[in-house]
Amino acid sequence: MVWWLAATVLFGLLMALFAIGLPAAFAFFGINAVGAWVWLGGDPGLVQMIRNGVASISSFSLTPIPFFVLMGEVLFHTGVAMKAIDAIDRLIWRVPGRLSVVAVVAGTVFSAISGSTIATTALLGSLMLPEMLRRGYHPSMAMGPIMAIGGVDMLIPPSALTVLLGSLAGISIAELLIAGILPGVLLSAAFVAYIVVRAALDPALAPLFEHERLPAWDRWRPLLVYVMPLVIIFVVVVLAMTAGWATPTESAAVGAVATVAVAWIYGSVSWSNLLKALLGTAGISGVILFIIVGATTFAQILTFSGATNGLVEAIQGADLAPLVVLGIMMLILLVLGCFIDQVSMMLITLPFFMPLVQHYGFDPVWFGVCFLICMQLGLLTPPFGMLLFTMKSVAPKQIAMQQVFAAVTPYVVFGVLMLLVVIAFPPVATWLPRVLFGK
Amino acid sequence: MGRAYRGLLHACAVIAALLLGVTALLVTGDVVARNVGLGTLPWILEVSEYVLPLATFLVAPWLLARNEHVRLDVLLTALPAPLARALGRTGDLLGLAICAVFVIYGARAIASSAQQGSLVIKSVVFPEWWLYAPVPACFGLLAIEFARRLLGHGGPPVATGPHA
Repeated sequence: MVWWLAATVLFGLLMALFAIGLPAAFAFFGINAVGAWVWLGGDPGLVQMIRNGVASISSFSLTPIPFFVLMGEVLFHTGVAMKAIDAIDRLIWRVPGRLSVVAVVAGTVFSAISGSTIATTALLGSLMLPEMLRRGYHPSMAMGPIMAIGGVDMLIPPSALTVLLGSLAGISIAELLIAGILPGVLLSAAFVAYIVVRAALDPALAPLFEHERLPAWDRWRPLLVYVMPLVIIFVVVVLAMTAGWATPTESAAVGAVATVAVAWIYGSVSWSNLLKALLGTAGISGVILFIIVGATTFAQILTFSGATNGLVEAIQGADLAPLVVLGIMMLILLVLGCFIDQVSMMLITLPFFMPLVQHYGFDPVWFGVCFLICMQLGLLTPPFGMLLFTMKSVAPKQIAMQQVFAAVTPYVVFGVLMLLVVIAFPPVATWLPRVLFGK
Repeated sequence: MGRAYRGLLHACAVIAALLLGVTALLVTGDVVARNVGLGTLPWILEVSEYVLPLATFLVAPWLLARNEHVRLDVLLTALPAPLARALGRTGDLLGLAICAVFVIYGARAIASSAQQGSLVIKSVVFPEWWLYAPVPACFGLLAIEFARRLLGHGGPPVATGPHA
């Protein structure tokens, strides 16, 4: 079978399975079963598929995923996250669009401790959205920042999806985690600036209301008590990785245990909420890892069918400028992001993209950050942006899906701009890891 | 029957959750021990690698029963109800078939590994087929779930799953 026919059949079947609503993991298993039979030698190929499936997730490089997720789940289920948000709420006042700004700042802090974009969005959405709408905030002013900052969670470590990208693409996980910090923080800052300007120009979008004036100590104390320990955990996790005291897995495990310890010191941990946090962790990690079970076999089938080499050689032979190739890759990711989930995106594209990255001599960490920004945008773009659905599920009933779509649009534009900035100025992504890892 | 089945799936999920929690504790203990000069236990690293697939296979049937595996349901919700139902059933049927293939070949992977007497030899030595043992069990439970849906017992296909 010629490579383009093999590629068309494989991807056509995969898309058909996605379209009839089969869960993504099972769609990959189905393709793998058919592909293993056709290209990996029938019966032995299918036995190999099982072995590959187990091997693809028995990897030390993937173990940070549940631990990073656990950090966020613990904060969420023990209520410590709410106390942190409240602490930030006390500090920000007399700013146009105050509650939206609080959401972005709290979301940024929470990102630095949570490995799960969905936990961040669900948390801020369920806690802050009702209050914002009650205060007469326009739905776009209320929902947009929460979804946007949920997406940024993917860039700011700890991040489960960054670990996965590093592991699947063979990019240094520690460097990739660090490389996301600067673009993530810049995006948060841009969101705050946008909210303030917009609310100042049109105060009806975010009506001002009298905020309780507290003495200085009452304003700052909760920050010291509830936010500083979280920031310290973040610094320790990042330091342990960069200083070489611990691998990403070990840093993640220490971070998770430290988060439980901090919550315990606040007296917020009970057996029941700890079990809820662990179950949530098993659920979220299980969803990601179950899709990965198909990873190795899927990549092998793409190789054996000739699809990988055929497409990669065709692109190399087309004599395109490296930047054009990069642009095409990013465009593919942005389009895929509208329809499929982040893990599937990685599985489908990385077998093709990484040989091209190597061929054109792109810095893998820089490429990884561009990839992450595209995936982050995929969380926010209709019709299948995961955070849009998360927001819809925690928003009051009268909010229509169209309003959710409209609310997120300006922030998607910021994300695209950030992608262009990183492409044009690679140090935005590569400077921090270079300084910290001394390369 | 239905309750016992749900209870079994929930119990598997709880075991997966506890395994992950205990692993976090073990790895942390190892890091602390190493950094205060008490040495390291190499088996902890290895065990944490095996916990990942075990926890994943344990929790997968519970996730399917709760409709939490990520799926693209936008097309289905946009289609007329009878057509969406028909497509949904086709999906369940295919899911059942796929799980059946994984049960059969999972069992074969176990059998061939056991026959050859393959061992995993690192810090911990054990028969290699232990690694594959959860596969047919997991996909057996998943097959039951797809079959229940075909018989009209499954939950409504509404939720989109959790995600990182």
